Amino acid sequence: MPHELPRVETGVEGLDAVLRGGLVAGTSYIIQGHPGAGKTILSNQIAFHHAASGQHVLYVTLLAESHERLFENLSTLTFFDPSKLGNGINYVSAFTTLRDEGLTAVVKLLRQEIGRTKSTLLILDGLLNAREKAESNLDVKTFIAELQGHAAFAGCTVLFLTSSRVDESSPEHTMVDGVIQLKDEIFGVRSARRLQVRKSRGVKAMHGYHQFEILDRGVVVYPRLEAVLGQPSMPDSPTTARTTSGVAELDKMMGGGLQQGSSTLVIGASGTGKTTLGLHFLAQASPEEPTLHFGFYETPERLKLKARTLGLDLDPLLASGALEILWQPSTENLLDGLAHKLLEAVRRRGVKRLFIDGFGGFERAALHPPRLVEFFTALTNELRALNVTAVGTRELTDLFSRQILAPMPEISSVTDNLITLRFVDQHSRLRRLLSIQKVRDSAFDPSIRELAISSQGISLPETFEGAEHALEGTPRLDGRTRS
Amino acid sequence: MRWKARPGWTAGPVLETARCLKREQDRGMTTILVVDDEFLITDILVDALEEEGFRVLTASNGRKALELLDKEVPALVVTDFMMPLMNGLELAQVIKSNPDWARIPIILLSGAQGAIARSRPELFAAVYDKPFRIENVLTAVVEAVSAQRRS
Repeated sequence: MPHELPRVETGVEGLDAVLRGGLVAGTSYIIQGHPGAGKTILSNQIAFHHAASGQHVLYVTLLAESHERLFENLSTLTFFDPSKLGNGINYVSAFTTLRDEGLTAVVKLLRQEIGRTKSTLLILDGLLNAREKAESNLDVKTFIAELQGHAAFAGCTVLFLTSSRVDESSPEHTMVDGVIQLKDEIFGVRSARRLQVRKSRGVKAMHGYHQFEILDRGVVVYPRLEAVLGQPSMPDSPTTARTTSGVAELDKMMGGGLQQGSSTLVIGASGTGKTTLGLHFLAQASPEEPTLHFGFYETPERLKLKARTLGLDLDPLLASGALEILWQPSTENLLDGLAHKLLEAVRRRGVKRLFIDGFGGFERAALHPPRLVEFFTALTNELRALNVTAVGTRELTDLFSRQILAPMPEISSVTDNLITLRFVDQHSRLRRLLSIQKVRDSAFDPSIRELAISSQGISLPETFEGAEHALEGTPRLDGRTRS
Repeated sequence: MRWKARPGWTAGPVLETARCLKREQDRGMTTILVVDDEFLITDILVDALEEEGFRVLTASNGRKALELLDKEVPALVVTDFMMPLMNGLELAQVIKSNPDWARIPIILLSGAQGAIARSRPELFAAVYDKPFRIENVLTAVVEAVSAQRRS
């Protein structure tokens, strides 16, 4: 087992996972980003978390901004605890010392102050000002080296905040043990915040970009799903046990229901019955099989109304807690934020049945769509490992096309079972069709059925018995080829 | 900034008292020591106090304030709470325990430690929470200096 360096938890949701356990104790980091990128909130959040565990923090500003202004801004965030000001976290300004006496005097002041306050975390806001005061790169190196040295002797971890984009060859970058970069970038018309660990000595941090948000509770980092769940969080233990899809006839066609812990993809154009099928699945929620609806389209109220028209009553299931409906309007979402929210809801209630309506909501949130295959693979593998029986929908854009194209590449890595729904035109009447293409490691009934919807819910009559070309949308009984 | 004196602010009674003081000051300038690590606050206090006819000394922390006190005893000390090396509470304790300085009135300007300071009325003549109104602090300075003179 390789030696693990002692860590300081940041307490920032997701960041400790990205850093694989937190900051390395007694080392120094640069947190860099443009003004407004979130450096101050992030570092104060770490400070309050550190102080909450009874340790001391020294927050030193080299900026002209007043501390009162800082406290006013922080007071809008839930982690801000005014009782810690001067009592766990000491906010001091070294601006005058820097301006009047220079870098050496700042080092001396901070060395004395770290010792006096017994601080184990030093945050120095305004590294750029120190750099401007320096006459040479050597001055910057000396300043950082001396501070690092004093801090390390005191067992104190250091965060240098700077608004400049510190170049990789800059003296600051070469001296510190880690660099965390925060960015707020524009994608088309929207913006998205991203965090990147650009350097981390002694730790295999999760490199690459990780999305984050600033919420009332502060910074929340969403580690890139395929990085944090490159391997599922626990070993997969597949079973042959089955659970009902909510439609008895479909269970029979699939060889006894859905395999527990399997994932099923239902594809079809708008109106073909995907959500209706999902509502039958949700209606089988029970205390033994907590159930979650994670949807982008219907609001919970509309979903309940739709269920009632099918003879399904979701209210008692919601009231008993057997069912939870999580609705995310498909607006400006963060892909990894959605995944972490979904997995949190699954883990929180030990969800065993999950209906995702639909995958398109995730695709819309992707700022970099080429990663979707890896993203869905990681999500599906984790759900399998958690033994969640998942049913997801994916809308097809062609309403009446003869061809049905797979909605995404590498579909077998994300789904065990595949069901296609489509409209067919028979005797100048529109009917819905259901066809099973795949049930992993199981025989299934390959017959093409009508998906009939009534106030009693779904039935699957054998309307197209003996017909050909049904999957193309035009079932013919006489077997003639289409002209 | 919210606590900055607005242009054209008036503080009638304060100015009246200040004028009286000014007459007294004809016999010698009254010196105020301002202690704060944040230069913006010391700058604003220095400007406002000098306009009222006071002579002002500044220090960026408690320890530097003590160095100044060794050389010269001011009529009053205005201090911040949270500062490097020695905070405002520690500074007040040292001042009050020294017989040469014990009679100096101390006004504390505090970000969030007002409650701690108010529980020690023997140390502080007045306590103001930041962001404070400069008129209020000036009034307190003038009153404390006058009271000190009278006693």
